[in-house]
Amino acid sequence: MTSNPLFLAWLTLMSLGIAAVLVTAGGAEFFSPVLFGGLLLLLAWAKARIILSRYLGLWQAPGWLSGFSWVIGLFCVLLLCLYAVAGLSR
Amino acid sequence: MHAPAPKPDAGLLDDLPGELMMWVLIVSELLVFGAGLAAFLSVRISDPAGFAAARAALDPALAGINTVVLITSGFLAARSLDLRLGLKRAAARWHLAGAMLLGAVFLAIKFQEYAAKAAEGISTDTHAFFTFYYLLTGFHAAHVVAGIVLLGLVAWKDAPRNIEAGAAFWHMVDLVWVLLFPVIYVLG
Repeated sequence: MTSNPLFLAWLTLMSLGIAAVLVTAGGAEFFSPVLFGGLLLLLAWAKARIILSRYLGLWQAPGWLSGFSWVIGLFCVLLLCLYAVAGLSR
Repeated sequence: MHAPAPKPDAGLLDDLPGELMMWVLIVSELLVFGAGLAAFLSVRISDPAGFAAARAALDPALAGINTVVLITSGFLAARSLDLRLGLKRAAARWHLAGAMLLGAVFLAIKFQEYAAKAAEGISTDTHAFFTFYYLLTGFHAAHVVAGIVLLGLVAWKDAPRNIEAGAAFWHMVDLVWVLLFPVIYVLG
């Protein structure tokens, strides 16, 4: 079971979830707002990529996996910009 | 004599695993939820303090548990296809049943979350934050309901291509949640 790619994907997703909890718990005390948002969105992007790759099977189509990863990555950058702009306008 | 029509090249679309129409659905759902999340953070620019105060009324721990529930449910759905391809039909069906059960757990937690908000008198009109919160999480919950029904259907009609399509829909629901969760519950 431990060598099953799906199980490893699940395990990685859980680890990323724990990392997100730690970042959230650290919050503004340890990170600047932009770094805080960036870390959370980076973790979300990594989770999305694993779901696309292993759960949805895009590991069989590397070109598509790369395309989806880029688009979702750019979308996360857009979200980070919107999050950061709100911080500047305070 | 006419030369035989050339065989169409195996295009890029043929590389996609599973049904093409399921991928069209996945992309369109990602676009809809993506637009919603971008609109949410755009509106937040005009009132970050109000959004932060509203977000404080949410329970990210419950939503975090729901992330674990949905990711585990996705694992069971993905595993069911492997099992079905390995001709282990009963095991595949049990995995689908497990995925459905976890989907129901997700909805129960979500219902509890909504009930707690209602008890506090929080509605869609309370603040723009909650308008987006109810719209996006409610629309997502509706997809969870549809996904549970779909997983039930493919557990019944368990041809591998059916399970692949049902599981793909479920993974789309999973995918949307991992993007929606940090934006609404932590960054909002």
